[in-house]
Amino acid sequence: MFVTDIRKDFYEVVANQRVALLVAPDIDALCACKILQALFHCDQVQYTLVPVTRWQDLDTAFLEHKEQFRYFVLINCGANVDLLEMLQPDDDSIFFICDTHRPVDVVNVYNDTQIKLLIKQDDDLGVPSYDDIFRDDEDEEGDDSGNESDEGSEPSGKRRRFDEGAVERRIERQRAKREWEARRREILFDYEQYEYHGTSAAMMFFELAWVLTKDTKDMLWWAVIGLTDQWVHDKITHMKYVTDIATMQRHVSRHNHRNEDEENSLSIDCMRISFEYDLRLSLYQHWSLYESICNSCYTSCSFKLWTLNGQKKLQEFLADMGLPLKQVRQKFNSMDMSIKENLRDVIEESSNKYGMKDIRIQTFGVHFGFKNRFLASDMVHAAAALLESTEKEDSDSDNFIKALDSLSRSNLERLHSGIELAKKKLMAIQQTVASCICTNLILSQGPFLYCYLMEGTPDVKLFAKPMALTLLCKYLLKAFVHSTRNKRCKLLPLIMAAPKDVEKGTVIVVGIPPESETSDKKNFFGRAFEKAAESTSSRTLHDHFDTSIIELKTEDRSKFLDALITLLS
Amino acid sequence: MFGEKAVELIRELHRMSDGQLPAFNEDGLRQVLQEMEALYDQNQTDVNEAKAEGRAELIPSIKLRHCCLLRNQRCLAAYLYDRLLRIRALRWEYGSVLPPNVRFHMCAEELQWFAQYKKSLASFMRSFGGGEGLDITQDMKPPKSLYIEVRCLKDHGEFEIDDGTVVLLKKNSQHFLPRWKCEQLIRQGVLEHVVS
Repeated sequence: MFVTDIRKDFYEVVANQRVALLVAPDIDALCACKILQALFHCDQVQYTLVPVTRWQDLDTAFLEHKEQFRYFVLINCGANVDLLEMLQPDDDSIFFICDTHRPVDVVNVYNDTQIKLLIKQDDDLGVPSYDDIFRDDEDEEGDDSGNESDEGSEPSGKRRRFDEGAVERRIERQRAKREWEARRREILFDYEQYEYHGTSAAMMFFELAWVLTKDTKDMLWWAVIGLTDQWVHDKITHMKYVTDIATMQRHVSRHNHRNEDEENSLSIDCMRISFEYDLRLSLYQHWSLYESICNSCYTSCSFKLWTLNGQKKLQEFLADMGLPLKQVRQKFNSMDMSIKENLRDVIEESSNKYGMKDIRIQTFGVHFGFKNRFLASDMVHAAAALLESTEKEDSDSDNFIKALDSLSRSNLERLHSGIELAKKKLMAIQQTVASCICTNLILSQGPFLYCYLMEGTPDVKLFAKPMALTLLCKYLLKAFVHSTRNKRCKLLPLIMAAPKDVEKGTVIVVGIPPESETSDKKNFFGRAFEKAAESTSSRTLHDHFDTSIIELKTEDRSKFLDALITLLS
Repeated sequence: MFGEKAVELIRELHRMSDGQLPAFNEDGLRQVLQEMEALYDQNQTDVNEAKAEGRAELIPSIKLRHCCLLRNQRCLAAYLYDRLLRIRALRWEYGSVLPPNVRFHMCAEELQWFAQYKKSLASFMRSFGGGEGLDITQDMKPPKSLYIEVRCLKDHGEFEIDDGTVVLLKKNSQHFLPRWKCEQLIRQGVLEHVVS
């Protein structure tokens, strides 16, 4: 069931109890977790935090902790499956789920006792009504469900005399039941067909903090990072992003110190969050402007920087703005002040000429101390790079802890190392995109586009991780749409496969919806993958919280793809 | 040279200056004691000879040997005393049960001394608060909060807190637990205090 008063029905319930937090591995979940942890520290609620990267981890963590904990809070996992069936908990375990994955499983919505959803109900959910899906079948007892041949047993023997009416009624009931079941299947199919994302979990918990009037600037910043993560990884529509930014802007202006002038100026070490209408160049303040333009998806695809023509256009663009190459290739902080002053406006003007109308995006930046200035998207990239880092042989939970640490203000070296990793990741993505487009690795399979990363590709280890592969997928699709002339291909979704584990012979497969200006980001590949796997009995592992990401055995790849093609044609 | 072996013992302790306890150097001790015995015997014969025959030229060598004896005695006393101080610090560091590798480094008398020290510290702590007792080995620095956030660095299995609840300490899980329960484990290196 949905929790209406988050303070009364969630926070005050757990305030005197011990809670287990099970957190999924994405930046929004990390931020939500930080906010909740800060609230718990404030009120001295004892908790245990366990990172869970996939459904199996969730299962194991639940089994290990179910003796000791009664209350479980799941962040960004658990809403889109029948949780009670999966975990088989005891009757007194209560789950609070704050998850952005939609659609929410109907059993979770209609369970009144054990599952509490910390999700806003006006969040565009479209849950089918109770009567359409569940039905109290008292008249089931009259007929044997499913076994009609047995009907002629003892009761009917005696009543055969007045059976005419009864038989007719029974037939009528069965027909109605079949009709109802068919309609139910249809409704559920429509409801569960597309996977998409709702409001950020970090924003939900920030709202809780606000209602408790325990919100701080740190929590606000984490909420902003959570929202920006949804935008960077293309999980929400642009409209929703803008709406949510407006909500956050209200909180930011509320937190900003009023009357900040010469006499009452705030110490330089205080944290200041400000609204920025800043450039869509990833990490540009921590890199050189040139590198950032080359490695940001938006600019790279608009210029088509994998072609020679594209490179020339970039040079023209820089010349048009009057920025000398020497300056532009320097670290951003060392650029001339005269250039940095009006940089955003200058770039916006020039990019309008080159067809990039949305080079600027509304976002927030933070500023504390003399040197530390970060945009929300910088933090997202850094934390995501740390979360999926393949540098050392760290386990998933080690990386989770590192990424969680990098979000605190006191761990700046961790954050900077994250930024360096993010730069490498972005460069790897751009090079892979360039090579895929230039060598025509993207094939049209009919109802979708398909690309397979061979084992020897540089940086292919980076792309064995789901978030990195999804990011690569999206950039690749954008680049493909910009580079192809085939009008039909521009509207196709993309499926990408990359080797995951060479010894075990598995690949990771990701599917993303087609690229369009007004895309509603709804992904149907979750169900499609399931059906295709079933029909070909391929050995797949649907273990990620996002249903559109699966693992597959390399040998089953071709039959799986064929099944998908037939399914989607 | 006389006194060299005694200084060797001192140097051994000096090398491990951060309070670690090296193994009890029985051999070294025995050698020094043997040297002292030899010196003493030689001195005895010389003194008897000097007294009996009035040979005054033996007196400087008697004096020299006496000085060496005193020097050895002083070094040995310093060695044993310093070890005792370190063992005492171990009680405050590790608690009343010492890890086996540390116990291995102590000789039987030192273990006995440790047991006695433990007993007298315990009875001292018990005498506070009108018979209730106060554990003064906890909270060596004034604590800032009742609960602290700790991160588990290795799998440690289940851990019971005062009110009976059990926490499963698995690697990379974070917990928010009462400070006094965590201090032991933090010292052992199983948990790590997370400063936010």
